[in-house]
Amino acid sequence: MALTKKRLLELYCDMVSIRKFEEAVENYSKNGTIPGFIHLSIGQEAAQAGVVGALKKTDYKFPDHRGHGAICLCGTEKKRVMAEIFGKVDGINGGRGGSMHINDLSCRNMGFNGIQGSTVVTALGTAFASTYKKTDAVTAVFMGDGTLGEGTCHESMNMAATWKLPIIYCLLNNQYAISTHYTESHPQKQLATWADGYEVPNEVVDGNDIEAVVEAVERAAERARKGEGPTLLEFMTYRWQGHFSGDPAAYRPDGELEAWQQKCPINRSRKQLMEIHGCSGAELDELDARADAEIAEAVQFALDSPWPDPKNALKHVYATVQVEDWK
Amino acid sequence: MARKLSYAKAINEALHQEMEHDPSVFILGEDVARMGGDFGITQGIWHKWPDRARDTALSESAIIGLSVGSAVCGLRPVAELMFADFVTVCYDQLVNNAAKIHFMYGGEASCPIVVRAVTGSGIRCAYHHSQSIEPWLMNIPGLIIVAPATPYEAKGMLISAIRNNDPVVFLEHKLLYNRKGEVPVEPYEIELFKAEIERKGDDITIVATMRMLDLAHAAAKELENEGVGVEIIDPRTLFPLDKRTIIESVAKTGRLVVVQEGPKVMGFGAEIGAMVSEEIFEYLRAPIKRVTSLDVPIAFSPELEDYVNPTMDHVLAACRSVMSF
Ligand SMILES: Cc1ncc(C[n+]2csc(CCOP(=O)(O)OP(=O)(O)O)c2C)c(N)n1
Ligand SMILES: [Mg+2]
Repeated sequence: MALTKKRLLELYCDMVSIRKFEEAVENYSKNGTIPGFIHLSIGQEAAQAGVVGALKKTDYKFPDHRGHGAICLCGTEKKRVMAEIFGKVDGINGGRGGSMHINDLSCRNMGFNGIQGSTVVTALGTAFASTYKKTDAVTAVFMGDGTLGEGTCHESMNMAATWKLPIIYCLLNNQYAISTHYTESHPQKQLATWADGYEVPNEVVDGNDIEAVVEAVERAAERARKGEGPTLLEFMTYRWQGHFSGDPAAYRPDGELEAWQQKCPINRSRKQLMEIHGCSGAELDELDARADAEIAEAVQFALDSPWPDPKNALKHVYATVQVEDWK
Repeated sequence: MARKLSYAKAINEALHQEMEHDPSVFILGEDVARMGGDFGITQGIWHKWPDRARDTALSESAIIGLSVGSAVCGLRPVAELMFADFVTVCYDQLVNNAAKIHFMYGGEASCPIVVRAVTGSGIRCAYHHSQSIEPWLMNIPGLIIVAPATPYEAKGMLISAIRNNDPVVFLEHKLLYNRKGEVPVEPYEIELFKAEIERKGDDITIVATMRMLDLAHAAAKELENEGVGVEIIDPRTLFPLDKRTIIESVAKTGRLVVVQEGPKVMGFGAEIGAMVSEEIFEYLRAPIKRVTSLDVPIAFSPELEDYVNPTMDHVLAACRSVMSF
């Protein structure tokens, strides 16, 4: 069942906005404006837009460290996500977290924990709460091919499978964990089969095909909502940049990046929109330009936003105790 | 012969020389082999010894567990924790396994592993990649915690750590990696459990480690102009501690300031302060002062991170306060 033109157009815009967002972040990271290090998701837009796009607002989402795109699509204003990455006071988390720790409970973006594999077990809890409270919310947790090496992933899947918890394990297989190719750290050719050991249904999905992503997530969400338990989806994709912005990625064989760039998820949808749905190039260019304008506005907002008051460092440590400031 | 090397390069050289020196030494960790480490510290080892440098999955528990098991069989693993914060993921292996091996086997086997862990704040990477983990591990008899501050110490103490027969957590401060200093070309050991008196003075003893030594030295210079002599001690091995050097110094100066990165509560400053007041209370002329980070997680924004950590002014204020008694 193919997506309607309207839906595909929306998803196309989502993917373009992720691309432009990430390009802006890359520029301002390279010129030193954005502090710290950042992980870009250029090349992986379909997997992010497709997962979030197939879920409800009320579903719990755990993006990962390469998750700016998914984060923006959960519903937070992009300019406040951008300001967070810049470390400014108007950031959605007041500059406490930066690129790696962006969360917004108002749209059930549960945020990322800088310790790989940590959210994979936290996801058990949101899924458990849904069954406990008898709501239909499912939990989607993003994880990388490398992160699957953490013991928490095994513990999570075992418990979720046994208790039939409504979880969708969104495994973005972008081939590498920093410099290590997934075939060098796992025995399986397809990581999805790893779920077989827990009798968890799994699928290998073309992660650069937005339709395939959306449909797979919809199937998994339906199973979860019916009480049939977790699903693991392995989205095959590729990150075009190095692990973090600035990583020269010398570990990639020649030609690999270029081959994946041929499979650009955005170009692919563009082609579909033009060839199957009769969109004109000009029409799509117009949408791209709108995304440009939106991101430029988000960047300006982040640049204009002031630094947080240093004393904010003492806020929010406890729910009930104010930490002493002896400075 | 000595020449200038960075702290990072000094560690790298120690690893190369120990691989050369002892065929039972091998390295393992995430991206340590082919890429040479996330911070580039293990570069070149895999090229020379492809079988003795292993890239692992993201599996810290397995990395330390494998290290412990192989150490019992006579190997000398040097494992890398890309960020010391990840010690939580393999805490059980360190605390309940590595630290207990010698005790459990009644001395018939020991656990000569080194866990290199990149510690500390200052590079804007927020609360899961910036923690000062020393005190998390200083309450574990059986573990040795080493914290070098200079390239010279980094090389010599890593070689000693690798040759030592007990489990060592070797802390490398990420802000020190580019620090340069004189380092001998040939392999050498620096005795563990021995503090270094970095500067002599008669009025105040400052105990500090790693990056905090810079603040101590800057404050000492300033105070020199005011006629106050500061003695600076770097314990270098945090646990087990060289109490004697600290006690002798404080017995002379009568005043102690401990400068520590990381929260104040239960930090190593607390232990040093308690130890000194227990041992030589009658020599103290002023209350012991601790200069530390605030008791909060490290936030991302530079404004927030910088507010949390101690500065030279805080060290100065503490010194002036102990001088006022
Ligand atoms: C417990 C833990 N170990 C190691 C790291 C350092 N680290 C951050 S991302 C990463 C690689 C993750 O690879 P993958 O899961 O494939 O995600 P990708 O970066 O490819 O999106 C590593 C090793 C970490 N943050 N937490
Ligand atoms: Mg990956």
